[in-house]
Amino acid sequence: MTDALPAPTRTRSLAIVEAVAPRERLAMLRILTGTFSVAYFLIRLPVFLQLGERRTGFDGVGLAAVLDGPVPSAVVDATVALTALAGLGFVLGWRYRIVGPLFALGMLALGSYRGSWGQLLHFENLMVLYLVILAFSPAADAWSIDARRRPSPGRVESTSYGWPIALCSLVLVVTYVIAGVAKLRYGGLDWVFGDTLRNHVAYSAARLDLLGSSQSPLAAWGVRNEWLWPIAAAGTIVVELSAPIALLGGRLRTAWVAATWVMHLGILAFMLIVFPFPLFLVAFAPLYRVERLWIDRPSWLSRAMSQRAA
Amino acid sequence: MSRRARIVITAGVVSALVAPVLLDADGFPLSTYPMYSQARGDEVTLATARAVDGRGEHSTLSLGVIGDSDDPLIVAGELRTAISDGNAARRCEEIARRAARWSGLPAGSVSIEVVTERHDVVAQVEGRPSLLDRTVHASCEAPS
Repeated sequence: MTDALPAPTRTRSLAIVEAVAPRERLAMLRILTGTFSVAYFLIRLPVFLQLGERRTGFDGVGLAAVLDGPVPSAVVDATVALTALAGLGFVLGWRYRIVGPLFALGMLALGSYRGSWGQLLHFENLMVLYLVILAFSPAADAWSIDARRRPSPGRVESTSYGWPIALCSLVLVVTYVIAGVAKLRYGGLDWVFGDTLRNHVAYSAARLDLLGSSQSPLAAWGVRNEWLWPIAAAGTIVVELSAPIALLGGRLRTAWVAATWVMHLGILAFMLIVFPFPLFLVAFAPLYRVERLWIDRPSWLSRAMSQRAA
Repeated sequence: MSRRARIVITAGVVSALVAPVLLDADGFPLSTYPMYSQARGDEVTLATARAVDGRGEHSTLSLGVIGDSDDPLIVAGELRTAISDGNAARRCEEIARRAARWSGLPAGSVSIEVVTERHDVVAQVEGRPSLLDRTVHASCEAPS
């Protein structure tokens, strides 16, 4: 794969708003993000459904900040059902102008409501931000049920398709930079040079143990090897603050993506905290020509599809 | 969409992303991403709930019993909030009700306690004695 962002046209600083891409790239981003989000939503369905039973401890965040208190469980159930159905439409590109925003709004509402009981889960933020951007873009102009109803315009490249992708890329890198800034802002240099990261790993393990869950088998080993943590902490800060290099494309982008993925793998290995969106690489999809995943599909897959169609 | 509109929206999106940082206000989906960013020593206070037997021995419950969730971040966060909001007693009753349906509840448990415990977390992970302090916020009868 190669760069998602094109060579700048008029001014380099405005490459984001001038980004051009084929409609298939935006469509593939819709399919990848939508499929991931629907799968995540269905796996976490019991958690979302259980929200309806909650009556105490509500403190609204995000969209839920407009609420005075918990909503009836029927409202939660209906929102969950509607969001699940809209998610299916989002992936398939069915009546996308209505269904796309509906799914993004549903995920935003349910994520907000779920975070309104004392604990925000930050790993959903990026996924929801992508959904919102994609929902209001022409992401179903290709590889969708909607597109099948219309005559094909042939290969079309436009800022209409490139800019939403570039905007997702921008959201991605700004998010990581903010996370890096937060560590220096709240933790200071001690976050890098002190025992802070080791203590966070120990804290996560202890918390799991005290709550009756299992801690990572690597946690005790990691905590004993103190030399590891200043290196890991410095690496984390460098990865997060250097996120904008991903927008340059090429090897620098791929090196950053690889380093970021390894960082999340390390968090999983030592702290058992899963950031599924980057771990499954979907978070990085806007940085690549993801339409090639289908266009360059293996020949055996093409043959199988042809035989099935015949 | 016009180029100007794209510039305005792009600037708006970046401003929205950066606003929580400037306002120091975490939220969803716009956040300061404060997770694991604060300085942390090796002595940490953690909220949990315990089963207590007639001799005062404490036993660990499960994520599902303590917080009705399989996510430790949610369980820990919500229990912390319940304690700070003065709802520990109510939460204790909820935990006791879930414990009644839990096959793992140790025999001889007489009460459930909602507690905060201060631990040397490095010692805790290494399997050494780690408890430094315990505060009981609520105690309620364990299911028989």
